[in-house]
Amino acid sequence: MRRHLLIAVVLLLGLLATARPASQTVVLVVRWDSAVTTLDSVSVRKLFLGVPVLVNGTPLHPVRNRSDTLLDEVFLQQIVAMSQSAYDRQILIGVNRQGWLRPTELASTPRVLDALYGDPNAISFMWLRDVAHEPRIRVVRVLWSD
Amino acid sequence: MKMSPNSGIKPMRISLLRLAVLALCSPLARGDPLQHEFLLMPSAQAVGTFDRQAPVTEVVDQVVQADMLFSLQKGPLRLFGEYLLSDHEGDLERFQLGWQMSQDTVIWFGRYHQPTSVWNHEHHHGQYLSTSITRPAMDEWEDLGGILPQHFTGTLIESSNPALGDWRLRWALGAGIAPRITPDGLEPFDLVHPDSRRRQIGYQARASLHPGEFTETGFGVFAASDELPTIGLATAPIPNLDHVDLKLLGGFGAYASNDWKVLATVYHASTRLIAPLTTRSDSFAVGYVEIERRFAGDFTAFARWEDSANGSDAAYLQLFPAFFRTKHLGGVRWDFLQRQALTLQLTDSHTLKGRFTDVRVQWSAAFF
Repeated sequence: MRRHLLIAVVLLLGLLATARPASQTVVLVVRWDSAVTTLDSVSVRKLFLGVPVLVNGTPLHPVRNRSDTLLDEVFLQQIVAMSQSAYDRQILIGVNRQGWLRPTELASTPRVLDALYGDPNAISFMWLRDVAHEPRIRVVRVLWSD
Repeated sequence: MKMSPNSGIKPMRISLLRLAVLALCSPLARGDPLQHEFLLMPSAQAVGTFDRQAPVTEVVDQVVQADMLFSLQKGPLRLFGEYLLSDHEGDLERFQLGWQMSQDTVIWFGRYHQPTSVWNHEHHHGQYLSTSITRPAMDEWEDLGGILPQHFTGTLIESSNPALGDWRLRWALGAGIAPRITPDGLEPFDLVHPDSRRRQIGYQARASLHPGEFTETGFGVFAASDELPTIGLATAPIPNLDHVDLKLLGGFGAYASNDWKVLATVYHASTRLIAPLTTRSDSFAVGYVEIERRFAGDFTAFARWEDSANGSDAAYLQLFPAFFRTKHLGGVRWDFLQRQALTLQLTDSHTLKGRFTDVRVQWSAAFF
């Protein structure tokens, strides 16, 4: 009886794992040797709104990952907390008032990874599953998980 | 290199550019890649005036313009400029070399928009970011009949710091070469065609409190002290007018939500007109309230009320015959496609010498 129960639990856990994979997690990532060790949510929001965020006196270079629509939704709802039109306007205001730079926008995961490999001050976000086996990429924090 | 007598300031222009290039190549910026940004904000408007009883309106029937912003950044250093090209003028409006001293503070050197004008500090020259087509008369640019100096060349420090829990204190301090008074109105220092004859320094300060890091809602105070020399005036409110001491004190409040935006500003100006044998002191006040309401379908309705006190009696304002004593305007804006807008605006204006009404239609856009 106990054996059957154990098999049932294992099967159930297996099914749950299929329905809710660990990859449904968005993480903040940098190159492995980046000076960024931690970043609070306010700083992350500022960063992706184009506001200068400095680490050791050097500004970070935000890279907006636009490789899929769900990631875009997570970005707008969880990271900058505004609609696409409001975000657009904030970016325009920053450039107009202060000459702030827009975050770089890249449409595929390999291009985001390339940008991170090439710049120790670059910072981006991606699905955990896309960086789990990337030794040159370091996860700074979890931004969202379903 | 030999300079002609009239080009005594040319080295300043060369030095500023050299300073910018040297700064971007300095050890401060070493190791960080050069990054850049370019923003184009074109607009076109047509204006019709009617019911016209004022001798001077300073209204141009049609304006096509392109506002271009560029930014170069390397490490904590930033070179930022704004060039406005229109069918009437081409001006380097802002040209600033900035050093990001900390996450919250930046110090600028160059030509900047003075921080006591809340409107101009928020919108600058780009028409797309302004809901109404025209700006308040008290914030009008110098070359369009503006009564207060707006462009200075010197140093500007801007900062935003935590205060009172989650609130933020935003402040700015500026000191720079002030505009001078000519027969055509105020004339700021021009970096492209520099002329340093009869120039003085002006000072500005602004501080405001905001309930959050990113909100426009807040309130604040500002002050400025400028000495404005005159040059080439054939007629003046007092004989042989040499310069004007202008002192400004004011405050503003703003409320911004998804649907509503309200902005109110008031200035009190004390002026002292100084001639070798006489002086004349006056004061006047100017202010405005603008209300904006967003509706479904990307429509925004807006209305603004501008007024002044003691404007008719102030000798300083006699230097600006097109100054608007009162102004009432209203209109509607429709945002369409990506970053494009059409705006219709109706204005009733009262100058010191008469009144008129105008209707305007504008297309504006922003392109990266």
